Amino acid sequence: MKRRRFRVRHSVNRPPTPDAADDQQKQPSLHEIINIKMIESGEKERLMELLKERLIDCGWKDEMQNLCRAFIKKEGRNNVTLDELIRAITPKGRASVPDSVKAELLQRIQTFLVSAAL
Amino acid sequence: MFTHVKMEPPPSSMRSLVIPTPCDHLTDFKSRHGAAPFRALQHCLRIKPLGRAAICRDPPEEVARCVTCGLSSRSRLYACVTCASVSCHVIAGEVENSSEEKTGGENEIAVGIKKEERSSSPSHAEAHAAVHAEEIGEHSIAVDVDRAELFCCVCADQIYDCDFDAAVVISQIATCGGGSIPAPPENLRKRRRVDYRPWSPGPHERVLITRSSNPLKHLSETDSMPWGLRGLNNLGNTCFMNSILQALLHTPPLRNYFLSDRHNRFYCQKNSINLKPRIVGSGNGNRNLRLCLACDLDEMFSAIFSGDRLPYSPAKFLYSWWQHAANLASYEQQDAHEFFISMLDGIHEKVEKDRRKPQSQGSGDCCIAHRVFSGILRSDVMCMACGFTSTTYDPFVDISLDLEPHQGSSAKAGSAKSHHSCNGKANSMSSNQTCGISTLKGCLDRFTRPERLGADQKFFCQQCQVRQESLKQMSIRKLPLVSCFHIKRFEHSCVRKMSRKVDRYLQFPFSLDMAPYLSSSILRSRFGNRIFSFDGDESDASNELSSEFELFAVITHSGKLDAGHYVTYLRLSNQWYKCDDAWITQVDENIVRTAQGYMMFYVQKTLYYKASEKPVT
Repeated sequence: MKRRRFRVRHSVNRPPTPDAADDQQKQPSLHEIINIKMIESGEKERLMELLKERLIDCGWKDEMQNLCRAFIKKEGRNNVTLDELIRAITPKGRASVPDSVKAELLQRIQTFLVSAAL
Repeated sequence: MFTHVKMEPPPSSMRSLVIPTPCDHLTDFKSRHGAAPFRALQHCLRIKPLGRAAICRDPPEEVARCVTCGLSSRSRLYACVTCASVSCHVIAGEVENSSEEKTGGENEIAVGIKKEERSSSPSHAEAHAAVHAEEIGEHSIAVDVDRAELFCCVCADQIYDCDFDAAVVISQIATCGGGSIPAPPENLRKRRRVDYRPWSPGPHERVLITRSSNPLKHLSETDSMPWGLRGLNNLGNTCFMNSILQALLHTPPLRNYFLSDRHNRFYCQKNSINLKPRIVGSGNGNRNLRLCLACDLDEMFSAIFSGDRLPYSPAKFLYSWWQHAANLASYEQQDAHEFFISMLDGIHEKVEKDRRKPQSQGSGDCCIAHRVFSGILRSDVMCMACGFTSTTYDPFVDISLDLEPHQGSSAKAGSAKSHHSCNGKANSMSSNQTCGISTLKGCLDRFTRPERLGADQKFFCQQCQVRQESLKQMSIRKLPLVSCFHIKRFEHSCVRKMSRKVDRYLQFPFSLDMAPYLSSSILRSRFGNRIFSFDGDESDASNELSSEFELFAVITHSGKLDAGHYVTYLRLSNQWYKCDDAWITQVDENIVRTAQGYMMFYVQKTLYYKASEKPVT
């Protein structure tokens, strides 16, 4: 994959700031490159919508909502921050995504990569 | 396009919404800058096709990311409201993904992406968001770039603000062609509240009553059944009719209407004779004028509530109905639901004939049938390309629900355990596909879920001016007094030229809250649960009708499609009674819970009398 430089766009009024991107020595990871390509082509948004649809259909979203409610009820509404909630729910969430949904998304990403490489 | 929005105090209905107390930093920010920065964000919002908002980038494909770590792939990126610098936010110890492990800590580095407001802060190239906020004291408020939700970098928690949410929702509505959302056809006018005053007859009225009426005979001591319970004789495969009649005879608003003489059959018949036939060529002119299903119902109510316990034969009613629905006039088994619709239609038609101008069905002002059963459904069709939404309103007298497709979901069974321990209430097991039980709430969830219209059903979008793939979503704009749910258990396949019955068990609750299926709730969740008063919020408050319902009748079907039997279970004074044609027996509620529901009748909780209905002596 070609190594690319990511130029940050500056607006006219902006005071001169050292372009920190130029100081970046690390090569962007594959994960990062794919992510950027997917956002630029609009594929990421499409996949997000598809994923949302699938997770609603199989009841995953409702389950997560119930878990969140239970957690907040247990801890107290004013004692929970967003980060704490995410930390508590994420492992269960990741574990309960149906295999069929994972397979479908992976398939789509694979297709995208093939077409992007061409 | 910036529309100046005058921020008015939230309407009374919104005061019932719980608006979280702002953190000190938000309060400080607002006292310094007012609502202007939030309103200015209207410029910067991009509304995604399904209605959710995000912060837009310029150009749109530009990827938001941090300069130092160069990462765009953080799950949350926040743009400072004051200076537009973007920080990524990582929860300490959060594992990004399974293959790459990031050591925790907050990599928050600023980079400018889009300008909206500038402060005279010094260079912030490597400013830590929290440090940034500490140093300057004004840059604590940020916006989630992908979700357009407020965040306080110092408190490290999500925050909420009316003005911000209002700006977002206004932008969302504008994208959806907001100006063109039609007001529902019915003026859900505030009914002038009449104070309840108990009535007792004056001396003159007492005389009238004793002279002009026959006292009902007292129930014998051995008779412990409530008033109005009487078997209906089967006149030849008429259990479909008997089952519906039993449910209707005990539909509180309908029962009250007829028992309080609101449709007096003697007056009605007298008036019919005087009326000239308005509809020419409708066949039997005079006979049709006297045909009035409401009159026959009135007669039936009088007979059923007379205290007589011998089974009643609704022959006259059957004959009248045959005249109304000629195509169904036979001794063959009919569908109970079809009969129900036909009967309501019959009552309505007669009233329509007598009136001068037709009333719309949605408001329920046309006839008692619609007054009791009619509600309004809202249908939204959203263009997936531009988000433009086309909205229509239609009246309904019942809701037909599909049973879930046969267990195709592969959600793990293990996750069901955590689900069970959450809420003790049985009602919370709404979409319980993981457990394999179909529930009424699950069916309603699917009824109000956005449905993707297939590629062959592309809808013409007014904004795009072409046919686009669309999403359709139903919701309930106005609830009826009595909600009738019909479960589609009879499948007719034209292709295979066969019909079959679906026997799958459906769990239904005794108490049902319809709030999640209202248009206001559906809109709220579509737009991301913003602090905003959505369509329908106000009317519900002014109507003083809640969304809580109580089950009072269940019609079950047992047997095969063409050779089956209908039975009705009635709930009176919190006791359940099985009405099987001429036989009425008291049954335990668990019998009802495990029965195969075909039609379920729920009445508004405020109209449901739980106290024991003792006869007035």
